Amino acid sequence: MLPAKDQNLAARKQPDPPGVTGAQLEWGWAWPANRRILYNRASADVQGRPWSERKKWVWWDGAKWTGRDVPDFAPTKAPGSKGDPRAIGLDALSGSEPFIMKPDGVGWLYVPNGLLDGPLPAHYEPVESPVTNPLYHQQSSPVLKHWRLDGNVLAPPGDPRFPYIVTTYRLTEHYLSGAMSRWNPWLTELQPEFFVEISPELAAEKGLGNTDWIRISTPRGSVRGKALVTRRVRPFTIAGRVVHHVGMPFHWGYQGLVVGDAANELTAFVGDPNVSIHEAKAFVCNLEKA
Amino acid sequence: MPQPMGFFTDTTVCIGCKACEVACKEWNQLPARNGGVGILSGDSYDNTRQLDGIHWRHVKFIEQFSADRQDGRWLMMSDVCKHCAHAGCLEVCPTGAIIRTEFDTVVIQSDTCNGCRDCIGACPFGVIGVNPVSGTPQKCTLCYDRMKVGLEPACAKACPTKSINFGPIADLKEMARGRVGQLREAGENRAYLYGADETMLGGLNSFYLLVDKPEVYGLPPDPRLPSRNLEPSALWSTLGAVVLSIMGVFHFRERGSGPGRPEGVDV
Repeated sequence: MLPAKDQNLAARKQPDPPGVTGAQLEWGWAWPANRRILYNRASADVQGRPWSERKKWVWWDGAKWTGRDVPDFAPTKAPGSKGDPRAIGLDALSGSEPFIMKPDGVGWLYVPNGLLDGPLPAHYEPVESPVTNPLYHQQSSPVLKHWRLDGNVLAPPGDPRFPYIVTTYRLTEHYLSGAMSRWNPWLTELQPEFFVEISPELAAEKGLGNTDWIRISTPRGSVRGKALVTRRVRPFTIAGRVVHHVGMPFHWGYQGLVVGDAANELTAFVGDPNVSIHEAKAFVCNLEKA
Repeated sequence: MPQPMGFFTDTTVCIGCKACEVACKEWNQLPARNGGVGILSGDSYDNTRQLDGIHWRHVKFIEQFSADRQDGRWLMMSDVCKHCAHAGCLEVCPTGAIIRTEFDTVVIQSDTCNGCRDCIGACPFGVIGVNPVSGTPQKCTLCYDRMKVGLEPACAKACPTKSINFGPIADLKEMARGRVGQLREAGENRAYLYGADETMLGGLNSFYLLVDKPEVYGLPPDPRLPSRNLEPSALWSTLGAVVLSIMGVFHFRERGSGPGRPEGVDV
């Protein structure tokens, strides 16, 4: 990425010329080899010829792999070469096995091991949702983690007490929870108060004006913040019914130059089965004028 | 002799991160308003609201959405001092504290400024404000101190999308025209340059690529200099003086030719 002093390949901003289909190799940098498409050997058939003229990426030119992208394959391993089953690493794979980071060199439609949810992809609703799962009887992932603690209560699907979808997110002005950035006056003056973004439609329904104080509640807790009324927030229409959406940044807390309620008072202790990432992007809430 | 230097701000690639605002404040050691403790403005993501003595860069957020949201965009624009070729602030400064530098930029020298604030009213863009630390009007210097040692201004250095471009004016104009052409070719026919030609105050050394009317971004469509009033006001003053003298002459003639003071009245 930095081959020489004052040469920063990540800072490149040269797009492919108009009309040329390429991999934009002169735009920025992709670690580790500036390759843009993983396993791109799969864009060619067993003999190394592109499957499609329109979507060709790399191919065998008789002596080596070449093409529009940096080949994700041993550069001179011929399409017909055999793998050595007793070898380790890439030497065990043949010239027609493009998925070089898989132990068997081929693509997998399902996950035989390693992940706790699988083997096939499926649709589940978030653990809290305004609707029941339209695809299966199984509402949400059967293997999600739910810590059974006092106060960690979940709202059932379509609970009329909590009719709105809520999302939490970050702002460029604050870092993570704001524990560091809420002490920096240059940052706090840019985003001085905790706010909750709502659509003009929901504001009208609730009789709210811009910057009015509102209270947002979930089965686990409630926070107070100022309404930021904006058309950037869109109500959803789900099965013919309007479901409002509420958004809030999560950077406030009880200490700092500027303080405010913490969005994480609202979220549930639930996690995905593999890495326990909690579900703070989609859950349900109620909202009232405070 | 150094070339004229300036900014070309391409608002179409601004992402509203405000890195320019913070980098400017850090380099120039400008305080936050009220120690950083403020009230939510309710105006999109803009909570500093203006350029002034302690905000030398300011990012505007303009939300344009139709009621059904079929048509919508969120415009962002990093605003700054325009470093006008014909600068209103420089015209009115009575102490010579405002100078034009070797880079063709306009700089207020705080040590020779007497704080009269004439420049605040003279700026057609509302760029200048009083810095409470010095007690004098201040604004963007285009990082004169950094330019002196060959560095780009702090805001341009911090901008992650190259919305803020710094360089010789001639190069920037070429880049800007190319960008307008590229956008128009891609179907964005609203793209145009604001302040890039000499009809606007002799040319702005900080000019912009906009996709809506200047007023939408809080910019004057036709900024003008305080000196535009010199000729008409000189004319009216002269005319006023002439009229007054004539009236005076007639008045005294009348006094001389009249019946004189009434008896017993002491004036």
